Amino acid sequence: MRQFFRALARSKAGLLGFIGLIFYALLVGVGPMFVPFDNEVKTDQVNAPLGSRLKLVTRAADAARYPSLASLEGQVVGYVSSSGGETLVEPLEDTFDDTEDYRRGAGVEDGLEELTDGDIDGFVLFSESLKTYPIGPGSDFPDLTVSNARLAPPHLLGTDTQGRDILSHIVNGGRTLIVTALLAGLISTTIAVIFGAVAALVGGPVDRTLSALANFILVLPKFPLLIVLAALFTLDNILLLATLIGLLVWPALMRAVRAQVLSLRERDYVEAARALDLGRRHIIIREILPNMMSFVVVNLILAVTAAMYDQIGLIFLGMAPINDYSWGVMLYFGRTRGALFSPDSASMVLAPVVAIALFQVSMVMFARALEELSDPRLRTA
Amino acid sequence: MQTSKTLTGPPPLESGWLSRVVSSYAVRTLLQALLTIWAVVTFTFFLIRLMPGNPIDVYVGFLMNQSNLTYGEALQQAASQFSFDPNASVFQQYLGYLGDLVRGDLGTSITSTGTQVVDQIARFLPWTLFCVGLGLLISFVLGMTIGMLIAYYRNSVLDTAVSFFASVLGAVPDYIWGLLILVVFGVQLGWFNIGELRGTYDPGLTPGFTPAFIWSVVRHAFLPVLVYVIGTLGSWILNMRSSTTSVLGEDYVNVARARGLTPGRIATTYVGRNAALPLFTLLAVNIGLVIGGSVIIEELFVYKGIGSFLFFSISQRDYTSMQGVFLVIAVSVVVANILADLLYSSLDPRVRIEGER
Repeated sequence: MRQFFRALARSKAGLLGFIGLIFYALLVGVGPMFVPFDNEVKTDQVNAPLGSRLKLVTRAADAARYPSLASLEGQVVGYVSSSGGETLVEPLEDTFDDTEDYRRGAGVEDGLEELTDGDIDGFVLFSESLKTYPIGPGSDFPDLTVSNARLAPPHLLGTDTQGRDILSHIVNGGRTLIVTALLAGLISTTIAVIFGAVAALVGGPVDRTLSALANFILVLPKFPLLIVLAALFTLDNILLLATLIGLLVWPALMRAVRAQVLSLRERDYVEAARALDLGRRHIIIREILPNMMSFVVVNLILAVTAAMYDQIGLIFLGMAPINDYSWGVMLYFGRTRGALFSPDSASMVLAPVVAIALFQVSMVMFARALEELSDPRLRTA
Repeated sequence: MQTSKTLTGPPPLESGWLSRVVSSYAVRTLLQALLTIWAVVTFTFFLIRLMPGNPIDVYVGFLMNQSNLTYGEALQQAASQFSFDPNASVFQQYLGYLGDLVRGDLGTSITSTGTQVVDQIARFLPWTLFCVGLGLLISFVLGMTIGMLIAYYRNSVLDTAVSFFASVLGAVPDYIWGLLILVVFGVQLGWFNIGELRGTYDPGLTPGFTPAFIWSVVRHAFLPVLVYVIGTLGSWILNMRSSTTSVLGEDYVNVARARGLTPGRIATTYVGRNAALPLFTLLAVNIGLVIGGSVIIEELFVYKGIGSFLFFSISQRDYTSMQGVFLVIAVSVVVANILADLLYSSLDPRVRIEGER
């Protein structure tokens, strides 16, 4: 163990990966205790000083979609009458599924001009994907706060299209993904190691059958098949999802394990053990397995990242259940609610993107470091 | 190496013409390929029909929502429009499908009535093949060059930096790179207008070899191709690096050096050629993976290729279209594998295919 850490300290990338993984363990393990999930929808709530004049600006497409809004376009929609917030526009989430056009509506420039001139105090930019309430330069109302505040202290990563804190979603949205990916990785690695070892050691028809099965699964278009399977089974429990992914990804590793065992069998020390008549069990447990452990562990980590890919891909397409608000679901909503295309709600997409990317990078860096540690030929120091 | 072993197979036992035909490489490969494709077709056929909901149900739901019909009316209208008989047994459907398939008939689409699945595939597949093929080609060539370069300078600062970079590239899912590019360069920096880049070419242009059309195709394909390159480049670099490193230690490289051959000659004919060998098998595996993964990329960029068509067919429960796409993907993977084997054997004299001697 000490040797492991000493070697890890030598490999900078491995150390980075290791620190990253500890960070993620803390984030998804302990984080939720400190940052509870923010599920309070705060659409279109404006906290503005009494008497503020607010104007509604909307893009043409939205106005056409919701005719009731068209009559409000360009009008002062209301004065803030009671401090603490007033709902100005009814929440219209879930009725908007078309992301063909985005902002840059004509009203925005006019609104900004009026703000500068002091004709209005703020405007409500209505869109499914963003709600911006700019305050004019040198405004008299610096404490005008809105549900979709930009990045600012109580909301470090900003808020989503429903005014919920994105940071709380990042902290709470990783656990299921990581647990599912770990399960899927374990399942596929277990199958691969058992099948690969059996195929190599037993040989004959068993080997041929297992290899044929592996080759068959390798030809199957894995991801499209997962989509079909996701429709076939209602993927409402993570064990099922993990099993399905695991069942489809083992063949590549199985072939590698098979080749590895075949070559280990011919090594001198195994020959020596055989010559000493130490028995098959001894050879498998004492000579072959220990020499494969690091190889298997490295591949387990890589299998977890592959499972992450499939899982988040499924959720992103809307094919896996979204009752659990994960990073993948954030991406899905970012896409379907148009947040992807508006400059003001980038955080809703970028936050999960970065969370996923850094997790994957940490895993792969750690795996690479392990690989280098275990293979003296690759050892750089 | 593994594939080459299965290729050479057992030596012919007798000299009868039949055994010679069966054991000839071409025939065996063809039989194996057909068997694999048949297995994939059968497997997906039954799997697809196990999915909950059939195309009529989906369409009935759509009609009821759209035109306020009652369930009965909607069902009647849907059934009259679809060439799909929900009452035929699955096995009958399977036999019928196989029969048609042998005659090269993939059937008609269930939801887009009257459209041949072959026509649909012919319409969408070329775009995906173009993007995936171009992306893989660029990243393969680029990855081999970079990988070889850093293997020559291994353990240098350059090597460490490029290897780290390559690991990061490969670790992050390709669609995550796609999202990042869209949000950062498209939306935040405004380098390109995502709205205009949807589809495979600008609407209103007539396909043809006109500069305007070609430019439009290139612009629309740029992002998907870029993402395919980014998504696969890292693994090519790392694989080529380790492959080259092991080849550099081989005796024949030392002998070539001792003979006083120019470093350029050694790098291309001795090192490069041998180091690239294992990568060709990986290329075949990658083609299947990338075509499968194109579902997400094409949905993300709203690129109308086979991936987004497959996703659409799945959501519509369009059995025949889905089946057609699965068939096409399976065929391309099998063909890619055969091509990789052929290429491998023509590059590596040690595994020359039997019968070619």
